This record gives sequence, C-alpha cells and structure tokens, in this order.
Amino acid sequence: MESKVLKPILAVYVGLFILFLYGPFIVLGILSFQQGPEGGPQFPILSWSTYWYQHLFGLTPPSRIAPLPVGEALIRSLVLAFMTMVTSTVLGVMAAQAFRKRFRGSGIVFYLIVLGMMVPGVLTGLGTSLLANNVLGIDRHWWSTAFLAHVVYTFPFAFLVMLAILNRFDGSVEEASWSLGVSPIRTFRKVTFPLIFPGVLSAMLFAFTLSFDEFPRTLFASGRDQTLPLAIYGTFSVEIHPNIFAFGVMTTLFSFALLSVYGILMALSVRRAKKMAMQEDIA
Amino acid sequence: MSAATPSRETSNTVRLLAPGVVWMILFLVAPIMMILYVSFWTQTTFAINSTLTLDSWKNFFGSEAYVGALWTTIRLWLIVLSLTILIGYPAALYVGLLVKSKTVSTILLVLCVIPFWTSFLIRVLAWRPMLGKEGAINIILQKLGLIDSPIEVLLFSELSVIIGMTQIYVVFMVGPIAFMLGRIDRNIIEAARDLGAGFGRIFWKIVLPLSLPGVVVGSIFVSVMVLGEFATSGALSGRKVNLLGNIIVTQVGSLKWAMASVVGVILTILLGIVVAGFLRIVDLKREI
Repeated sequence: MESKVLKPILAVYVGLFILFLYGPFIVLGILSFQQGPEGGPQFPILSWSTYWYQHLFGLTPPSRIAPLPVGEALIRSLVLAFMTMVTSTVLGVMAAQAFRKRFRGSGIVFYLIVLGMMVPGVLTGLGTSLLANNVLGIDRHWWSTAFLAHVVYTFPFAFLVMLAILNRFDGSVEEASWSLGVSPIRTFRKVTFPLIFPGVLSAMLFAFTLSFDEFPRTLFASGRDQTLPLAIYGTFSVEIHPNIFAFGVMTTLFSFALLSVYGILMALSVRRAKKMAMQEDIA
Repeated sequence: MSAATPSRETSNTVRLLAPGVVWMILFLVAPIMMILYVSFWTQTTFAINSTLTLDSWKNFFGSEAYVGALWTTIRLWLIVLSLTILIGYPAALYVGLLVKSKTVSTILLVLCVIPFWTSFLIRVLAWRPMLGKEGAINIILQKLGLIDSPIEVLLFSELSVIIGMTQIYVVFMVGPIAFMLGRIDRNIIEAARDLGAGFGRIFWKIVLPLSLPGVVVGSIFVSVMVLGEFATSGALSGRKVNLLGNIIVTQVGSLKWAMASVVGVILTILLGIVVAGFLRIVDLKREI
C-alpha cells in the first residue's frame, strides 16, 4: 500500500516544514544572547550574555549603540490596540446581531464589511492619508486617522467571529426572556451576552493583536509619533544590533502572556457555563 | 414575544448596522475612491492641485522603472504563490487527511500558527541572520562541507525576498487546504480503495478535486498579501527589489501623491483581476 510509504515520508516532511517556520526565530533567539556591545547580529556568538536584554531596559552603561526608541511607542501601540479592540468588537457584535434576521441587501453589506480585511493595508493607508492630508487638510495621528484605518481592518474579523458564534446560537432562550416581559436591552445584557461571551473574547483577541502588530496602515495614516511596529521599522534602515533580536523575543513572550490570559478567561467562562447547565439539570 | 411589527424590526436592523456600514463607507470606500480621484490630479514639484490631468498616468507607463515594478510584482507573486502551494499542500495533506488522531492534527495546526504571535516585522528581520554571508545557512553548509565559500545571493536579492515571503505566507495556504481535506468523507476513500483504486488514482480523482476550494481560498489570501507587500521586499532585498507597494511608499515619502495614487489604482485593478479570476474557478458560496 502506497500510503504506508507515503505517510512516514510526509511525517518527516511536516517536521522539516515546521523547522522552516521556526528556523529563523530560533536563530534570532540564539543571537539575542550575543555578547555586547561588541558582538554583532551574526554568528559566531563571542560569548553568551544577557547584555542586550539589559540594554533594552536601559540597564547597561551608555555605549555607541542607542537604545531602541520603544518605550513611548509601546504605550501608544497598547492604547491604540485597546481603542481598536473596543470599537471593532462593539461594531462587530452589532452588525452580526443584525445579520441574524434576513434583510434586503444583506449580501452587499456583508461584502462591504469583509472588504475591509481583503484590501491590502498599503491601499487603505494611502487612501486614508490622501483623504486626511489633501482633501480635509487635517493632521494625521496614531489616535485619529490610524485608529480609523485600524478599525476598518479589525472590524471584519470581529464581525465574522461573532457571525459564526451567533449562527449556532439558540434563539429560544431570548424568546423565553421576552415572553416573560423582559425588555430587549435587558435580555441582551442578561441572556444573550453571557452566552456569546466566548465569541466576544475571541473577537477582542483578534482585534487587539491585529491592531497591535499592524504596520502598513499605520505607516501611512499615523503622523510623527510612532507606534511600536513603526519604531521597529525605523531600525531596519540603520545598522541592526542584537538588541532588536532581544526585543523580538520579549514581544513574543508578551504575546504568549496575552494568549494565556485569553485561555484562562475562556476556560473560566466555559466552566461557568457548565456549572449553570448542571444547576439547571438539578432544578 | 417577538410581536414587533416588521417596520420596527427593520428599523432595529438599520440601527444595528448603521454604525458599521457608515464607518466602512467613510473610511474604506471613500479613501479608495480618493486614490482613483487623486491619480488624475496635477503634481508639481512641491505641491499638488485638483486640476485634472493624465500626466501621472503617462509618467507611469512612460517610465521603465515603474512598469518594471509592475512586472516584478506579478513575477514575484506568481513565484511565491506557486511555492506556497507546492510547499503547503503536502503539509496540509498530512495534517488534514493522513493524521488519524484529531488531537495530533490540532497540535500541528497550532504549531503552524504560533509564529504569528511574533511581530510581522521581527519575523521578516529574523531572516537576515539566517541568510547573510555569515548567516546560519551558510555556516551550516560550510560545516557540512557542501560549499567552500559562502553563498552571497542568499541575502539582499530577489531570492531572499521569495524565501521570506514564502515562509511568512505559506501557513495561509496550509490552513484552508487542511480544513477542506479534513471535511472529506473517509468512506468515499474507503469505497474507492475497496474498488481497487490505488493511492495515485484516489488522490487525482477524489482528494485533489475536493480540496480545490481550500487551494483557492488559500491562493486568495496569499495573493492579496503578497501583491500588497512592501516591507519584506524592502527589508530583505536591500532596496534592490521594488514592488508596486515599495513605489507607493517612496512616492508618498517624497510627497508625490498623484504618482502614488496611480500606482495604488493599478494595484487595485491587479488585485481585482486576480481575486475575480480565483473566484471563477470555484464557486465559494456553494462550497462553504
């Protein structure tokens, strides 16, 4: 049987494939422990040290290598990602809620929203900056124009996540609540929202991480003050040092921390749902 | 009871949709329209005014560098797209179809997604110490005695851009294909096998056709991202490879808004043709 031969070959192939995905990052991680400040961003490792991590936090004596300008940029990126997350999740929940009923023109509205994630960032960014700069004559900032462009990008993701959740949602619990005379708004808050909360959490996670790492739209649509990806991009054009590698390792750890928080919140909400279901069974 | 009258329901739907729709029209559709409009504006050295002209369009098609960027974009897109299919399909075949256990399959998919938790720009940058003259690949090849002197074309060339883009985008191909492969009814394959079909025949007649929608969705993802790229080509080619995206960035940098807009319109048209072409192959609405 050919699949007897094929399967182990493909298993080895997948191993190599994963190595291909991880290889550069492993090398980057190793080189982040290069000796400093003399060691460059390449092999061989002169000696192992955590110099570049200390350098990142300004704990090393001043040297010719300037510290990465990431402090304020990090805060801006976090604030921007938070604003984007809240706005696009609210818009996403509302739009997906509307899509539970059939209405005329739903096809066009659907494609209009999904277009936001399909159009490349370089085009949305260019268009937004044209509109602000040449037509309206307003300044571009990370918290104004870039924020608008970010939501255009993340709102479709939030919308699609919520659509998937609400498609599987049992509407009879809402009807029960309405028939007991509870107002629609209160029903949404007390019945619908707790049930769709895992989806809301996923939508928030999508929006936050996409915005936090968003680069092309921000490059065009934000003004002088840099966000984190812009600060990293700025180091590309000058000589690179292992401090940017150390920074890469740190941001990845941060992402995993965020992912863990998401995982914990998700597990808690699933457990609460199970508990409620059990109580119902007893009752 | 949902005793709401139809008109009240309609107004409710409108209220829920209005913010999102207005947002998308103002900040997505209007900006794209602006690109088309500004591409006909008059550009002088330091300023731009709204007198309509075809000058920027003539400039674009009259310049070898700009038209060259269009061809480079198309060439690189075709190469990277083929590579992501060639490299991604076997991996998806294993993950989506050959692995019997659902858990292993999920773990493998999660492993593929984890790198996306690192900043996109850091992932691009990570190829530099990998491909450089004193980079990891050259060192390993030299240690193994496969080469005598380091290969220099690995970094700051078209090759490095292709390698970098393929690695970054191949997962967008693996995901949709693995998803479609996972949905194939195993009984069909069993039946074909019982009737004496070999693996090759089963693959060509059953597996490949049923996974085609996944290939199309993956191709749309990869195409949209590669065609709009400029960061990878900028960071890994040492400015030797200029894609349409790179032209837009440099033109905006020197305040040549009209020319940037012309390139933006051309990129939009190119994208429209590519996506429409893929959607013709497979009717996605019917498949999903």
